[in-house]
Amino acid sequence: MKRRRLLQAIAASPAAAPALLAQGPGSRLGQAGTAPARIATVPAGEAATPAPRFFSPIQLETLRKLAATLMPPLNGNPGAIEAGVPEFLDFLAGSSPAARQKLYRAGLDHLEAEAKRLHAKSFPSLEDGQIDAILKPMLAPWTYDPPADPRKHFLAAARADIRAATLNSREWAAAASSAPSRRRRGGGGTVGLYWLPIDPTRPA
Amino acid sequence: MPRKTYDVLIVGSGHSGGMAANVLTSKGISCLMLNAGPVADFERDRVTKAAHELPYRGLGKPGDLEHVFQATEYNANTWVSEKEIPYTHGNQTPYNWVRVRLVGGRSLFWARQSFRLSDYEFKAADHDGVGENWPVSLAEMDPFYSRVERILKVTGRKEGLPQFPDGDFAESQEFPQTEAVKRLTAAAQKQGIAVSRMRSAMGENGLASSINLLLPGALATGKLDIAANAVVREVTLDKNTGLANGVLFVDRHSRQEMEARAKVVVLAAGTLESTRLLLNSKIANSSGLVGRYLFDQQYGCTVVASMPEARDGKAKPGMIGGGVFIPRFRNLDKGAKRNFIRGYALPMGTGSTPDARYFPAYGDELQKKLDSYAGSCIQGGIYGEVLPRFENHARINPGVKDAWGIPVLHVDARYGGNERNMAKDAANTMEELYRDAGFEILVKSDRVHPPGYSIHELGTCRMGKDPRKSVLNEWNRSHDIKNLYVVDGSAFVTGGWQNPTLTILALSMRASEHLADQLRAGEV
Repeated sequence: MKRRRLLQAIAASPAAAPALLAQGPGSRLGQAGTAPARIATVPAGEAATPAPRFFSPIQLETLRKLAATLMPPLNGNPGAIEAGVPEFLDFLAGSSPAARQKLYRAGLDHLEAEAKRLHAKSFPSLEDGQIDAILKPMLAPWTYDPPADPRKHFLAAARADIRAATLNSREWAAAASSAPSRRRRGGGGTVGLYWLPIDPTRPA
Repeated sequence: MPRKTYDVLIVGSGHSGGMAANVLTSKGISCLMLNAGPVADFERDRVTKAAHELPYRGLGKPGDLEHVFQATEYNANTWVSEKEIPYTHGNQTPYNWVRVRLVGGRSLFWARQSFRLSDYEFKAADHDGVGENWPVSLAEMDPFYSRVERILKVTGRKEGLPQFPDGDFAESQEFPQTEAVKRLTAAAQKQGIAVSRMRSAMGENGLASSINLLLPGALATGKLDIAANAVVREVTLDKNTGLANGVLFVDRHSRQEMEARAKVVVLAAGTLESTRLLLNSKIANSSGLVGRYLFDQQYGCTVVASMPEARDGKAKPGMIGGGVFIPRFRNLDKGAKRNFIRGYALPMGTGSTPDARYFPAYGDELQKKLDSYAGSCIQGGIYGEVLPRFENHARINPGVKDAWGIPVLHVDARYGGNERNMAKDAANTMEELYRDAGFEILVKSDRVHPPGYSIHELGTCRMGKDPRKSVLNEWNRSHDIKNLYVVDGSAFVTGGWQNPTLTILALSMRASEHLADQLRAGEV
């Protein structure tokens, strides 16, 4: 019998399973001073890179160019690219309700279509001035309601998300801690009290 | 199994339930309090984290709390999950129902702004002929307001304005006025608009909650038991007498069905939860008005300006900072001719840094704007009265149930022309004041947030002397069931522009003292 099947058979036996799971009758685990040493770990984000899976390759490249334009490195702080924002937004949009997914995909597709229509080039390969000519007419100040035009809405949402994801990135925090004066100029580096799940229930 | 017996069963542990428990137990009356959620431990349940340590970099888990604009990724676990306990609304009629089920409820997190209602609200129908009067007046409420203000330690400045009744205020520091505040004040006074300052509850250590101001005293009497994680499903009636005799509830963890009994039932679960409970119980509704006349206060209507002299880091000490508070000033005279009735307040702050969304720029240009305008801004919004209307209501949606199998609410509420015209007037007024004060307008919007946003939902079990036009009598007691009380915001007849917490507490105190008298006299 293979090991996994053996374990399944033991676990299915009401008498045997508790003995196996209890680390043996002589276990002193739980008594004072017997806890094993805490195992150190690193955040996954420090050990690996994200694998984007939501946007198409051209949408992701368009988002990279857009992020670099909207939030470049300033005042010695990292920009959106250095902060891994396009990859983070791929994760965020991919985890989001359909409305945000549609907003992002349609918005990025529109930028690419405009680049082709006006300059016969892909958006990521445009010059800065060409990008400005596409983006600036789409900008609109707003307070509570984002602009009704879906393209302006997309740019408003992307601009806010890219900025927040940059300011709240690990890279930004590292730069700010190495030069506190930068933190004052650019904001960001938020630290706060996080509420853990409070006595959560398990699904029925 | 022998079961403990209680005089009063209280559903909900926020301000209104906490006050009921505090008053009743102080008079020797035994109480059982049921709360749907757990106790939060402010030390164990909170940890310091940088935004980048959170799964979504502080932008929040997508789709998790779509109606809770106040939610952040930091505090997301304190709000009621819309997946676990959903509610419904129409596609074109969004409603933000913002809920907390921790012991203490929303009293744990409220903004602590504390205003009395005036007779412009209690007797609104007498003033403009619309709607109903309350069955109480400011004079009747005055002693209860005073006692609540002392419990909460409300700070404020006495003004002698009938629309902004003074209170029993704790002493507080009067800050010197900055140039920006002086200019705003002068601009308002030129238009005959009175200017005051914010009135706030100091509480203890910045917390003015039932868990630190009301429940500890009640527990100390030995007359209060609090059961957490008790999700009340239904109020039960004695088949012979028709009186309330307790509740059925579900244990939040085990999901075991339980029943609790008492001589009197007091609902204090918050306006919409108490309403849901009555509707699911199919009781106390001979008027047909349980769930009707849902209203709140409209918030939003943002106008932001900048003080040019304070830009580019040139603000000198005393130039900008601090706020002004403009209480209602419209329609104070009978017969005032405007395209809306009632009124609004304008809270304004100075010395803030503008949000990036106000500038149509990006990259280096945007950063330079933000650097230039940092600390130079003046920002105001509206606290606007919403008219109670029969058609704005909550009803049971039998097709949708929450995680404990309890049918949920469907909320159907929208603002009307009175609210829209009021919001336009507020935006125009703010713009005029800013311009007159020499400030540069950055952004102006007369849009308001969806109904519910202010977290001040009110009115679905309103009080009144006529059982055909109201659900509760002048003592917050059901017209139909004489041992059933509802002491939360659902009892409101009108709401004015004022944060309702102070009035909820005063009403609960008054109703609970009346109930204690009734119990002592053997009337219930």
